[in-house]
Amino acid sequence: MRKAAIGGWIKSILVLIFALVYLAPLYIAVVNSVKPYSEIIKTPLNLPQAFTLQNFADAFETSNMLELYRNSIVITGSSVAVLILLTSMAAYVIARRRGKVYQALYVFSLAGIMIPPVVTLIPSIKTLSALHLLYTMPGLLMFYAGTYFSTIIFLYVGFIRTIPASLDESAYMDGANPFRTFFSIIFPLIKPCTATAVIFLGMWIWNDFLNPMYILGFRGGKTITTGIYNAIGAYTSMWNLVFANVMLASLPIIILYLSMQKLFMQGLTSGAVKG
Amino acid sequence: MKHSKLYDTLFLAPGFLIYLIFMIVPVVMCFLYSFTNWDGISVTYRIIGLKNFENLFRDASFYQAMQVTVIIMIVTTLIYNVLGIILATLLNDKGKLLGISRSAIFIPTVMSSVVVAFIWSYMVQTNGGVINSVIELLGGQTVDFYRTPTTTIFMISGIICWNSLGFFVVIYISTLSTIPQEIYEACMVDGAGWFQRFFHITLPLLAPGITINCILAVAGGLKQYDHVKVITGGGPGGATQTVTLFSVEKAFEYNRRGYSSAAVIILFLIIVILSVIQLSISKRHEVEY
Repeated sequence: MRKAAIGGWIKSILVLIFALVYLAPLYIAVVNSVKPYSEIIKTPLNLPQAFTLQNFADAFETSNMLELYRNSIVITGSSVAVLILLTSMAAYVIARRRGKVYQALYVFSLAGIMIPPVVTLIPSIKTLSALHLLYTMPGLLMFYAGTYFSTIIFLYVGFIRTIPASLDESAYMDGANPFRTFFSIIFPLIKPCTATAVIFLGMWIWNDFLNPMYILGFRGGKTITTGIYNAIGAYTSMWNLVFANVMLASLPIIILYLSMQKLFMQGLTSGAVKG
Repeated sequence: MKHSKLYDTLFLAPGFLIYLIFMIVPVVMCFLYSFTNWDGISVTYRIIGLKNFENLFRDASFYQAMQVTVIIMIVTTLIYNVLGIILATLLNDKGKLLGISRSAIFIPTVMSSVVVAFIWSYMVQTNGGVINSVIELLGGQTVDFYRTPTTTIFMISGIICWNSLGFFVVIYISTLSTIPQEIYEACMVDGAGWFQRFFHITLPLLAPGITINCILAVAGGLKQYDHVKVITGGGPGGATQTVTLFSVEKAFEYNRRGYSSAAVIILFLIIVILSVIQLSISKRHEVEY
């Protein structure tokens, strides 16, 4: 028994060492974001000797960080909210009704899962420009809604089918209309699934690069990713500013992840394994 | 249920309308464009049949892009799954240290690919890059990761893996946790060693996880854009371009939307075919217990 326990400890420590080495690039980004440029060149691996927050102040100003944050938060927040609302409502009807029409609609709604976003990007630019929505945030929002509809409806239909239909039938008998039934009875019950959807969508949309690049352009507002790409492109080898930018872009999402780890893990695994 | 039809429509219509306009219609348009010489700006264009596809197969830069994409796909799929399974078996246990390691390995997964690519472009620099500094400290020979396009692609594949490995590990851990402990216990009573347990129990019962991870890894590998765009921009001279980079450039910089659409359609068909093949293989290998 004791031999096994010691073995377990050795294994744990080896795995931890691996994890720390794995995160070495993050250590580099953190320590070099608070060093003056000259120190990065001389001692890139060491802890900072002349600790400074000047890089952050400079990066904040030159990259217009506040605007980038605002744009990314608005786009991610609104796209996720719209997607959750539209897909959960559609999924509810598909999960509850029997019949060929609804089955066909379900299959039809899943067709988008395999399609790489670049297939829809090029034609969508034309559609958006015809609708006068190119280079606007609502345009990007609608593109995301179309892109992720399939994946999220798939999660929801599966989940809603596990909820007994007697619940909403009895609400209907009591005189609640379908909207009320859905929002006061079903929607609260599908919260775990909504959490999964929010985590997936939040990560995908917040970190997306190609689509905002061409749908928003720089005219329609830069997001964190396109803004950082643009800013860093301008001072390629000013590594102190690069790392400050990198930290400013990553810290919010890393903090969010670390504070809601359990939810992240459950969300990702329930989405991927059951799906 | 009298109002049922009306309410059903109200629930379904908004979502399906957007899905129709921004998914189904664009896919159809993409197919149609691939048979035209549309430039993305003009109002008129001609239908030129399969000419775009013919030209693509004669285009050396498309072959190059295809090759790059396939290398990235194979390398990342191998690393994700081999390293993913090893790490998951090591991490799938109780204990504080393992818990910390689990959350640490997942951190890069939540980071944006653009940011990751910038951090790593510093790490892999030939002069003054962190990896080479460490190699020098240990008394080794400096490595030039950009020596040839092939070495550059391998390097970028590694960076892509660093970015998303955590996701694949999490999927494997959750599949492992569905394997009943009694099977292992019975096996240990019969005197099976670690390797026998791993190859005769763990691996076959991991099949559902392997299927999901392989499909995700293959599709993800074929779609690569972000890391390559930031690290090399596809250069030198298009030598590290992926198919997605190739088509985006053709569509928006050379205004050859028809040609670009044809390339995208080929990519799409490859993804569908590979996914179907993987699904049918895995159906045969999944074990009931």
